[in-house]
Amino acid sequence: MKILVAIKQVAALDEDFEIRADGKDVEAQFLLRDLNEWDDFSLEEAMRIKEAWSGTPVEVVVVSVAPAEADETLRKCLAKGADRAIRVWDPDVEGSDPIAIARVLAAVARREAPELLLAGAQSSDHAFAATGIATAALLDWPHAAVLTQLTYNPGARSARFRRELEGGLLHEMAIDLPAVLTIQLGINTPRYASLRAIKLAAAKPIEVLTLSDLSVPASAVGEAGSLSHVRRMYVPEKGRAQMIEGSVEEQARRVIEIIREAAGGAA
Amino acid sequence: MAGNDAVTRILFQDFAPGTVRLFYVIGYAAIAVFIYGVYVQVRKYRRGAPAGMPLNLLSRLESMTAILLNHRMIKRRDRKAGEAHRLIFYGFVLLFLGTATITLDYDILGPLFGVHFWHGEFYLWFSLVLDVAGVMLAGGLLYMMYRRGWLKPPKLDYARPDRTPTDPDYDRSNYRREDWAFLWTLLTIAVSGYVLEALRLVWLQTQAEVWDTRWWSPLGAAIAQGLRSAGLSDAGAGLLRRDLWWFHGLLALLFIALIPYTKVKHIFTAMGSLMFRDPQAAQRLPREKPDAPHPGVQYITDFNWKQLLSLDACTKCGRCHEACPARAVGAPLSPRDVILSLREFANRTLNAAELPAQAELDVHGKAPGQVSMETLWACRTCMACVEVCPVAIEHVPIIVQLRRKLVEDGEMDPQLRKTLQTIHKTGNSFGESKRKRAAWTKTLPFPVKDARKEPVDVLWFVGDYASFDPRNQQVTAGFATLLHDAGVDFGILYEGESNAGNDVRRVGEEGLYELLAEGNIKALAATTFNSIVTTDPHSYNTIRNEYPDFGGQYEIEHYTTLLLKLMQQGCVSTSRKLNLRVTFHDPCHLGRFNKGYDAPREILERLGCELVEMGRCRSNSFCCGAGGGRIWIPDPVGAEKPAQNRMREAARIEGLQVFVVSCPKDLTMFEDALKTSGLEGKFVVRELIELVREALAQPQATPAAPVAA
Repeated sequence: MKILVAIKQVAALDEDFEIRADGKDVEAQFLLRDLNEWDDFSLEEAMRIKEAWSGTPVEVVVVSVAPAEADETLRKCLAKGADRAIRVWDPDVEGSDPIAIARVLAAVARREAPELLLAGAQSSDHAFAATGIATAALLDWPHAAVLTQLTYNPGARSARFRRELEGGLLHEMAIDLPAVLTIQLGINTPRYASLRAIKLAAAKPIEVLTLSDLSVPASAVGEAGSLSHVRRMYVPEKGRAQMIEGSVEEQARRVIEIIREAAGGAA
Repeated sequence: MAGNDAVTRILFQDFAPGTVRLFYVIGYAAIAVFIYGVYVQVRKYRRGAPAGMPLNLLSRLESMTAILLNHRMIKRRDRKAGEAHRLIFYGFVLLFLGTATITLDYDILGPLFGVHFWHGEFYLWFSLVLDVAGVMLAGGLLYMMYRRGWLKPPKLDYARPDRTPTDPDYDRSNYRREDWAFLWTLLTIAVSGYVLEALRLVWLQTQAEVWDTRWWSPLGAAIAQGLRSAGLSDAGAGLLRRDLWWFHGLLALLFIALIPYTKVKHIFTAMGSLMFRDPQAAQRLPREKPDAPHPGVQYITDFNWKQLLSLDACTKCGRCHEACPARAVGAPLSPRDVILSLREFANRTLNAAELPAQAELDVHGKAPGQVSMETLWACRTCMACVEVCPVAIEHVPIIVQLRRKLVEDGEMDPQLRKTLQTIHKTGNSFGESKRKRAAWTKTLPFPVKDARKEPVDVLWFVGDYASFDPRNQQVTAGFATLLHDAGVDFGILYEGESNAGNDVRRVGEEGLYELLAEGNIKALAATTFNSIVTTDPHSYNTIRNEYPDFGGQYEIEHYTTLLLKLMQQGCVSTSRKLNLRVTFHDPCHLGRFNKGYDAPREILERLGCELVEMGRCRSNSFCCGAGGGRIWIPDPVGAEKPAQNRMREAARIEGLQVFVVSCPKDLTMFEDALKTSGLEGKFVVRELIELVREALAQPQATPAAPVAA
């Protein structure tokens, strides 16, 4: 019985960052890498199911579509108890949007044939909230997003869960397996991975796959395979707030003045 | 009479032959019981892990004997009890040597070689010395009874903060009963011994060699006078003597036999604990063994034999209990009770012939004998307990090793967990970008050398708080100015510096500590310098005492030593006398850990400050409460914080103007506590560097010669 957990090593912004010369991303040296916070919760959920089950052992496999620098994050996942890690990379994957990534993840899912594919509801850097569900669409599997509670007995044909809606409402559902579920923050309390555990996890192997291992053509990924493209990334001009003092009449006069200036003088 | 063979005490005088044999049988039986008891204890210690320490038996024996003889550790913070114990100790030792001497004469030299020496002049002096010894013993015991029964110091009621009244191991009356039984038994043996001595004198009063020399046993003779005047005949005395002889003898043999089963074993376990102590106990924590199945201590058998032995050395004197800052503010931690719990647990599980299943050996939890998470996380690792313990029990390493297991299992406050993850990611506990570590240098009118790019004479290891905390940045800039104006060739590591790791290690995240230490050592290896200075006592402690274990050996001083040198050499000359009434708070990691008490005080004297010491100063300084990772753990709401406790102590000094600190965490904790304890306005908290800057008339125009490293 297998749970596949898709994880992403996300980027966080360092101080005084600069935009890359091509204007499409932040300069690499200003990015700090770590495990996506949502994925911490989905991995913990997989571990929770694994550890609560006393029947046939549940295998938890983490997968990431990323270059070698993501090995550090995969090792952290292994330290938290994942049994195996898979990393898929190929220079052609560079520049992929969530749909292109999803094509790769779907290929891995077909290869691994898990009962459950867990992913984070979104990533903290690009925040598309699309990759998990796109993978489900490509697999044509049942799916649900933004889970805040999951009940699953390994080996069962279905699972029950709650998902988060707006206004504090919860949506209680059941789903047939295999399925893709994207996990929301707060579903559990992710465990701490001590440095010692991370060091010991170095003994667990990370399987590195290429596109050809998965029979995914280069045209399906990268810029070529993406359905969306980044035009530019920029820091929006920060406006300055101004206090308008004076009596109500004076304030109104000043507001009209500002509007006229902004509209280029037209009334 | 001198030299006369007849001047002696005939052993077993007028005993029927069968009774002497009976006595010897009982004696050997007592010894057998004693030996078996020792065997069980030794078997218990051997069930622990190997200690892996260099034995150096001879030098350890020497230092242990010195401590025993001068009793300097027992006298600390309880002088009268220390002196009374010294009387008991010397009295008991002399009486024991006396019995051994008699045995040597009667059972060994006599029968084997026909040599007897216990008579004549020797015998008379022997009698006098032992009479005095008995008085010392009894006197000491009586004082202890008075102290325990009338003075009733709170620490002797053994009330424990880590259990509630409903817990089965909350009640300590069995300990109190054992203590009283010990005192009464020993006193009864002593008193019955004197009465016995007197009865023999009355019984043999017609023998000149006995009666005429009786004043060589002054107390016995005095009692004999009294008995005789009360009308006791020699025949009557003879009968009483025979019965009292058996009472005294059997009680003494019972006492000996029960030594390994009772508190009396501290005679040996204290010696053992003192002999095998680690002089760097809390300053330098032990490394994890690379092949260990789990980190730290989970099972009682994870402790090494030396630790198991020292658990048995505790006599519940309560000095650690009194010194502990966590205990003082009501936290569920008493170092004494951690030791006693573990001892009870060890006795319950390791005394049996068969070792119980491993699952029953887990010391973590709330069952009797176990130590809970709340207790372990309350510790500030300030080492007050280790420093004061008269029998060299090392509480802090025990607590840290237990914490290592908690950290591995993630059992810690969420805030602490987050901080550890932050330190791992950014190399500092503030979560700030590495690039901002040296942002404080931008406020200075002069450049600060980058030690990564050019050689420096003095490398300044700044530390997290001094680099990132806004209030401490003022002090840091001040120190930089001091060094610059004094012409010191110094530099910093800029982004190459990470958290030194002292507190990370004491939290129990040994893996993260190793990462930080190795990283800093690598950064230092790439630089050229003669010595290191730091304004952070925590960094000072770990770099000085622990980095050598990881390959980083440096000459390092705390800024107070360097500053004093600069002042002595005239490179920093303060013309203005401050004339402030101040008190100095010894930082744990500078003072108690590394004996750095004097340099700051000399500086204050040079500044013309009037130093009024707080009651708890120098080695007894009261921790600000930030150590052991506690600065990263929220304090319980409503409870007093150690820093507030300290502020109230300082407030008792009449006319106090400045509370002086020399540690960045102290500055943070005490400035906060000054406000929250409602004492703002009564006095101020200042770093020593700030006082020096105040006293400087103006910065040096011409830099004096750089200080020699």
